[in-house]
Amino acid sequence: MGDIEQDNSERADGENNKADKLFTLKKWNAVAMWSWDVECDTCAICRVQVMDACLRCQAESKKDFYEKQDCVVVWGECNHSFHYCCMSLWVKQNNRCPLCQQEWSIQRMGK
Amino acid sequence: MITLRGKLKKDPDVSNSKSQNIPSKRVSIRDKLLIKEAQEMEQTLPMTCQVTFNDPHCLYEFTLLIIPDEGYWCGGHFYFQINVPEEYNMIPPRVKCLTKLWHPNISEEGDVCLSILRQNSVDGMGWAPTRKLKDVVWGLSSLFTDLLNFDDPLNREAADLFSKDKELFGIKVKEYLIQFAKR
Ligand SMILES: [Zn+2]
Ligand SMILES: [Zn+2]
Ligand SMILES: [Zn+2]
Repeated sequence: MGDIEQDNSERADGENNKADKLFTLKKWNAVAMWSWDVECDTCAICRVQVMDACLRCQAESKKDFYEKQDCVVVWGECNHSFHYCCMSLWVKQNNRCPLCQQEWSIQRMGK
Repeated sequence: MITLRGKLKKDPDVSNSKSQNIPSKRVSIRDKLLIKEAQEMEQTLPMTCQVTFNDPHCLYEFTLLIIPDEGYWCGGHFYFQINVPEEYNMIPPRVKCLTKLWHPNISEEGDVCLSILRQNSVDGMGWAPTRKLKDVVWGLSSLFTDLLNFDDPLNREAADLFSKDKELFGIKVKEYLIQFAKR
């Protein structure tokens, strides 16, 4: 996958140029926009793209890269994806996928 | 840079507003969602509906006027008060009918029975955070036409009368309409 490749090249980058840590980070941030690969799926709960931090996390001004990492994506067995933050709030109300109404169970989590 | 982030993380202001429900200057999630939803609702408003925001700064409180152009309630003016709770869109808007009417799914006290407004439903027809204000408006306007449901009535008397005598039902609806829903 694209991200792994990128990871490698970055590590190489870092080794060649250890003093330039800040630079590498910035580069990473730009590369993190690889959402073209996964399509621009929008979280149907908060209506923000799942690859971005959810509306709540954004409101809590988790603007920087490290904080965004906490706001992960969750895929259900039905293959619908949401922010984990959004979905964990909803399942407290009703343990169904809000899109297809199937019983909600997590298939995988991540970014 | 990292030290600065560490400090920001421990900022008492940030952690406070997270753990407690103090109304803050910050725009709430509900209000953020409503900015788009209110706009979308107005753009897709059915011909029979009018929306009035009592306070243009409060998108979470508004009145919906429905003037059905067909069916038993044709020509009546039916007002609904819609309140969107702070926990939106995890929980549905609260709807009250302000106009007294004779309707199987709306009680004379103004309680409304509409599936998408139900918080807990086992049939999957209830509220979901994927629904928006425009769906609520369309649902309410359909109560006067196609969503009319006699199986699970709030006004049993009205539902019973409909199944027994549609003509009498129509007369009773008109009586209420003339008395309470002329404008
Ligand atoms: Zn979300
Ligand atoms: Zn989040
Ligand atoms: Zn689903």
